[in-house]
Amino acid sequence: MSEENWIEVGSTDSIEEEDLIRFDHQDKTFCVYRLTDGFYATDGICTHEAVHLEDGLVMDDEIECPMHQGIFNIKSGEALSPPACEDLKTYPVKVDNDKIFIKID
Amino acid sequence: MKKNIIILGGGQAGIYAAREIRQNDSESNIKILGEENLLPYERPPLSKDFLLDKKNEDDLYFHSIEVIKNENIDFENVLINKVDFEHKKLFSKNEDVYTYDSLLISTGSDNKRLSLDNNLSDDVYYLRNLEEAKIIKEKVSDKNKITIIGGGFIGLEIASSLSQLQKKVTVIEIGNQLMGRIIPKQIADLVQNTHIEQGNEIILNKQIDKIIKKNGIYEILLNDNSIIETDFVIAGIGSTPSVKLFENTNLKLDNGILTNQFCETSIKDVYAAGDVCNFYHPFYERNMRLESYQHAQNHGICAGKNIAGVKTEYTSIPWMWSDQFNLNLQLTGICDDYDEIIARGNDINNGVIYFFLKNKIIKGACGLGIAGKVGRDIRITSKLTEKNTIVDKQILSDQNQKLNKLIQKQ
Repeated sequence: MSEENWIEVGSTDSIEEEDLIRFDHQDKTFCVYRLTDGFYATDGICTHEAVHLEDGLVMDDEIECPMHQGIFNIKSGEALSPPACEDLKTYPVKVDNDKIFIKID
Repeated sequence: MKKNIIILGGGQAGIYAAREIRQNDSESNIKILGEENLLPYERPPLSKDFLLDKKNEDDLYFHSIEVIKNENIDFENVLINKVDFEHKKLFSKNEDVYTYDSLLISTGSDNKRLSLDNNLSDDVYYLRNLEEAKIIKEKVSDKNKITIIGGGFIGLEIASSLSQLQKKVTVIEIGNQLMGRIIPKQIADLVQNTHIEQGNEIILNKQIDKIIKKNGIYEILLNDNSIIETDFVIAGIGSTPSVKLFENTNLKLDNGILTNQFCETSIKDVYAAGDVCNFYHPFYERNMRLESYQHAQNHGICAGKNIAGVKTEYTSIPWMWSDQFNLNLQLTGICDDYDEIIARGNDINNGVIYFFLKNKIIKGACGLGIAGKVGRDIRITSKLTEKNTIVDKQILSDQNQKLNKLIQKQ
């Protein structure tokens, strides 16, 4: 695993538990989540229609799109509820010295 | 026990019911009888992304034929024109007979049509199915002035799409506000402002007296004697449940098929789901008929469970959306029974929501914002409503305070 693809997102206290922040890097938007058992990352745009998931609701391990209530599993990216049917891409996350990093391919 | 299950109606409620039955019952025969020669498809994009060429026909299907076949669900394109509930039989126009042990009726709803006293009925276009959307898309391509009769969801979504296609759009609404049947005036007025800013003309409080065709141009005469000249007329004036087939049967009807909270009709082994139902909602303790994406899906799923023997009450809090220009409007619950209104936000860029409370409990909320700005709060509101939570009004009205605080307090 090459080190250069780990991108720093911010400090761990920048995200409340059961919440998310949006992170833009180059041309892409990501969502980084803090769940009860750690940090996770997905693409930041819903696979159904081009809307930012940053305004969505995080519940348990799920993110719900704010526009049409498509639901994705945050850990696997699986589309769980229509109108979303295409899975959401997920990214590895690590925490080092209270800083969150995501690995973008 | 292996049964013959027939689903009459090949729309969203029908397909979700079929798949839910299959999840709970691997043995029974499941057959969907659809009037359109198309697999079940999504209707919301028809008035928006389909007209705008952002989505094509292939993007609309809920499931591919492979998925449906893999689950051993039969789909047949057939027009049923007679029902014999006593002998559990359906008859097609070609006199084919379909026998069922359990029947689900998910025939949806039909457009109300303008009654015009001349022979121009065929000159007014409606949009409910894919075929109609294709016709409108093709016909408007070389037209400039388009008039839409009816300022409800469908009319305004078409108005938004056609405006984005550089058409000159006029919307004529009989009521004193847009979307008056279910959307509070505060939000309707904000939507109206956006339409006007984008160049659409909105005419309220006016009735159509007559439509005349002169040299390929239509003149719409309104009840104040004004005349709108237009190249093309579309009407979206509401819908009625598709129950014609059952009018002379024992099936109890009243603004749709009457069902209880288990999707059961007045006839044993006959269920109904989706737009066609006037169903009992145990949370609101009253009957209601809904026409929305979420309802068609969830009601279909609930009917599927009950048909498969998994007794399940339908308790979904109503939720619906409309997308017009870059705005997303959302409604949850019921906004017509309240003793207090609380506003959150005053700028659609950050989202504006009106909450409708009764005895300090939110009964419904309606919000409007750019893209998904109101989605999270509306979703949290559904949960607060569902749990009858007494809410802190200070938090509700202060956009700087997150509404999930209200959930966590429980």
